[in-house]
Amino acid sequence: MSTVQTQPAILADEPPVSLWRDAWYRLKRNRLAIFGLCVILLLAFVALFGPYLTPYDFLSQDLEARNQAPSLAHLFGTDDLGRDVFSRVVYGTRTAFVVAVVVTAIALVIGTGLGAVAGFFGNPFDRVIMWLTDITMSVPNLLLVVVINASLKTPIAQWMEARYLETLNPFYRETVWIDFLLVFGSMALISWPPYARLVRAQVLSIRSRPYITAAQALGLSNRIILTRYVIPNALGPLIVAVSAGLGTAMVLESAFSFLGVGVNPPTPSWGNMISDGLRVWQHYPHLLAAPAAVLGLASVAFSFLGDGLNDALNPRGSK
Amino acid sequence: MMSGKTENRLLDVKGLTVEIETRSGPAVIVDGIDLHVDKGETLGVVGESGCGKSLTMLSLMRLLPNKIRVAKGEAHFNGRDLQRMSNRELRKVRGGDIGFVFQDPMTSLNPVMRIGDQLAEPLIYHRGLTRKEARARAIELLRLVGIPGPEERIQAYPHELSGGMRQRVMIAIGLSCDPKLLIADEPTTALDVTIQAQIVDLVKGLREKLGMSVVWITHDLALIAGLVDRVVVLYAGTVVEDAPVDALYANPRHPYTRGLLASIPKLSDAPASRLTSIGGTPPEPGRRPEGCPFAPRCPLAMDICRTHVPKLEPVSAAGGHRAACFAVEKAREAA
Repeated sequence: MSTVQTQPAILADEPPVSLWRDAWYRLKRNRLAIFGLCVILLLAFVALFGPYLTPYDFLSQDLEARNQAPSLAHLFGTDDLGRDVFSRVVYGTRTAFVVAVVVTAIALVIGTGLGAVAGFFGNPFDRVIMWLTDITMSVPNLLLVVVINASLKTPIAQWMEARYLETLNPFYRETVWIDFLLVFGSMALISWPPYARLVRAQVLSIRSRPYITAAQALGLSNRIILTRYVIPNALGPLIVAVSAGLGTAMVLESAFSFLGVGVNPPTPSWGNMISDGLRVWQHYPHLLAAPAAVLGLASVAFSFLGDGLNDALNPRGSK
Repeated sequence: MMSGKTENRLLDVKGLTVEIETRSGPAVIVDGIDLHVDKGETLGVVGESGCGKSLTMLSLMRLLPNKIRVAKGEAHFNGRDLQRMSNRELRKVRGGDIGFVFQDPMTSLNPVMRIGDQLAEPLIYHRGLTRKEARARAIELLRLVGIPGPEERIQAYPHELSGGMRQRVMIAIGLSCDPKLLIADEPTTALDVTIQAQIVDLVKGLREKLGMSVVWITHDLALIAGLVDRVVVLYAGTVVEDAPVDALYANPRHPYTRGLLASIPKLSDAPASRLTSIGGTPPEPGRRPEGCPFAPRCPLAMDICRTHVPKLEPVSAAGGHRAACFAVEKAREAA
């Protein structure tokens, strides 16, 4: 990688900088990481301001212009219902970001909390939490999500419909968010164990550092020690894991949509589009290429950024 | 300084025994230590590595690592037993009444917290100061321990300071809540010689200014000669000699103390001569010899030393000088 020779000779005559400024300084020198960061920021911008960027509604069908090749009017062409693929990819970015951010946030909170408690307080918490983690990890991910979605989706939808007929409350009519809720829940359920393990390992190693004993000798409470001394020191590897985790969550969401257990059509999702495109790719390759390329780009961007952060936040090799 | 009156006792440790859990059952590391610190007194605790010096002090504050625990003994601080206190009470003593300075300034500060915040934390927690008041006090403390430009330095992270500066910060943290007792656990081991002298002078000056008691743990008898009032020599988790500092240097009684003193290099030594050392190593926990723990390394060992444990007994009429050795009389003859 072109970044290797940029590592030594830091801080020779630099003014004093904080750890984070220092990390940012190192990250800036890593071209791949900056490329990744730019792609992610661009995608985030697209996700945030999607409705203002798209020339068409993602649902509007133009049956006279079906399966068109990319042109100026339709940047990525149109699909078999004459919907603009570019608009659908843009809305798919929204779906991907919402799912990735929410799922990672839930998994992070659960994982950090359980991991920190397991590592800091030791047995019996440690044993029970690690059992939970191992059990969750031992079930094949896709299988678990398929089981949850297949078994819960229909009963919940039926219950909602029954409630609607009973109360005529429009709240029960809206079912899209149930989709999201199930996707969030089931994906968070399979995503937290790696965070818990990472945080636990970090906390175990930090707990025996002299500055923790020093903090205890100052009479500080466990809560302060955990939140101000242990977790901030465990943050570096966690940030790296989150960056990689966001990418993984996007790919995972696409995988579930591809298998039909993710976000339901017509809500656009890259996975749905890839699944649809795959059936006709010999005739209309752009229907597969557009969402697949964007998914690949996003995934690669997160992994580059994760690698860069890893180097930037672990100054051991370079200092 | 040598008054044995109870009302003058700040810290009084009796029969403190610390054990480590091993595969073959508990092994004794600290074996029934008695020691005390009077108000305003500075006590030196001396011994080579692995003698239980640090563990003794950590066990007082119940800061022992996993698998090591206090088996018996009492430790009264201001008349209250630290071993029987609730965790809540103990937290008030830690940092509030007893300040601790650790051995390694490089790893004993939280690397991701500005030193001003690390100084402020105990002040806010123990003294209930506001963040602003704590900040002002932090600047004052840094000035007290001789850190130049404290207003800017409170913004610094530990990695931006040198070892000597970090140790000063550690001392400032230890002093932050005006402790009655400062326990310094080999605070100069990680520093070079000129800085060591500065730190010793600093603590000496602060002790007089603040009127606190100090326990200074070290393996360097020469370093603390001008600092402490009294010295306790530890060997393999037992007190082998306890004496006023002058008496200890002038007339060491225990063969181990003699060995320690003899191993300090002197300017009068012939150039390139071999340094004196005590042969052998301290016994491992769980493999303590029967009788006197020092017997296997002792040049004066007699038959009784290998079967019976000597008690700490007065060895001078003037009082205050005690040693645990059967060969004390012999040692006096050899002197």
